[in-house]
Amino acid sequence: MAATDPRDKAARRSPGELESEILATLWAAGRALTPADIQTDLGGGLAYNTVHTILKRLYDKGMVIRDADGRRGSYRPTKNAAELTAEVMHRALDRGPDPIAALQQFVTGLSPAEEAALRLFLTEGGEDGSGS
Amino acid sequence: MRIDVYVPLVLSLLLAAVSPAVSRRLAPAPAALALAVSAALTAAATVWGLMLLAATLVGDTPPVVDEAREHRFHIPEPVPAVIALAALVALAAGLARLCRTLRAARASRRALRLLSAAHPGATELIVAESAQPQAFAVPPGRILVTSAMLAVLDASERQVLLAHERAHLVHRHARLALVAELAAAVDPLLVPVRDTIAFLLERWADERAAETAGDRRVAARALARAALAAHGGGMRLSFSEHAVSRRVSALQRAPLPNVRAAVLAVLLLGLIPAVGAADATQDFLHLLGRLLLL
Repeated sequence: MAATDPRDKAARRSPGELESEILATLWAAGRALTPADIQTDLGGGLAYNTVHTILKRLYDKGMVIRDADGRRGSYRPTKNAAELTAEVMHRALDRGPDPIAALQQFVTGLSPAEEAALRLFLTEGGEDGSGS
Repeated sequence: MRIDVYVPLVLSLLLAAVSPAVSRRLAPAPAALALAVSAALTAAATVWGLMLLAATLVGDTPPVVDEAREHRFHIPEPVPAVIALAALVALAAGLARLCRTLRAARASRRALRLLSAAHPGATELIVAESAQPQAFAVPPGRILVTSAMLAVLDASERQVLLAHERAHLVHRHARLALVAELAAAVDPLLVPVRDTIAFLLERWADERAAETAGDRRVAARALARAALAAHGGGMRLSFSEHAVSRRVSALQRAPLPNVRAAVLAVLLLGLIPAVGAADATQDFLHLLGRLLLL
């Protein structure tokens, strides 16, 4: 539809979707984040209280822990479930006909020419995000 | 009968021939749906046609032939035995491929169930701590992304990724993909159509993600960055020639229109073999009736 104000967009996101985004942010950061850090990273539209509430829910679900030695009130993602999931995923990938290949993955393989074209696109693409 | 029964085969080829143009010209959502419906109808009609052709072999078996001779009845033979035999072989091969496809789909579903079960917490997002950048939807409602994939994307790009996978879930793309897969299994002439549908489902999810991000350029960037990371990360990715580049360029252009007439034309292409098959069925029943009653 028409371009929407980011503020409306954030308000429209369901709690489940916000959980995903905040969890993804914590994983991407690689360090403990405070609700304020997350608010800044996710950009406009998210109220501090919302971030705090979602973090509490993720904490109750065992997906994040309060950082023990870092700054007060900062969170990091728990690793146990993610490690187990990776194990299950790799086991599935290693076993015979690839069951994951049958899925729609976000991206597919690249030819060398494609790789070069995409690199060019990213460097030309102006404001380079957090790219590595 | 001679003509009607071959119509689905011709239309399979035709559908395969027009599908690239369909994917280039039409908005991905209606194009994918129309192609999937047409492919399913064409595949069903093809199987039915092959069954009718193969069934004419029954006329050659001794009891029926003897009986027919006793009644001095000349069995009309519109189908050469070679073709009937070829139809039988094609049917058997199709059935084998169908079973293999269903088995693969089941294995994939089982793997996903295990993944979902291994990750408690009932969050939508399942993170796997892996150095391989990887992301896919886990129907009915979860999304698996590896930590390596999350690490290469910025906040807006992560939003694109999540929105893309969410679109797969909300619009039940796994089901549509399976329909296309099964159609191509029984009717290999439809393999290009299946590939086009798979590509269109990705394009469809890309468009939804771009809408969510509010910026097509961010969506294109997320895609390029994820593809490069996965490519460099030693991933065994299913390879599809230029699929990612085509998706990135599509996001750099304006969205394609939903041309209703073209969508209808594709659907019509799928309906013709169905009607043709119905007609051939009538001919076949007529023939069978004469065989049995006279």
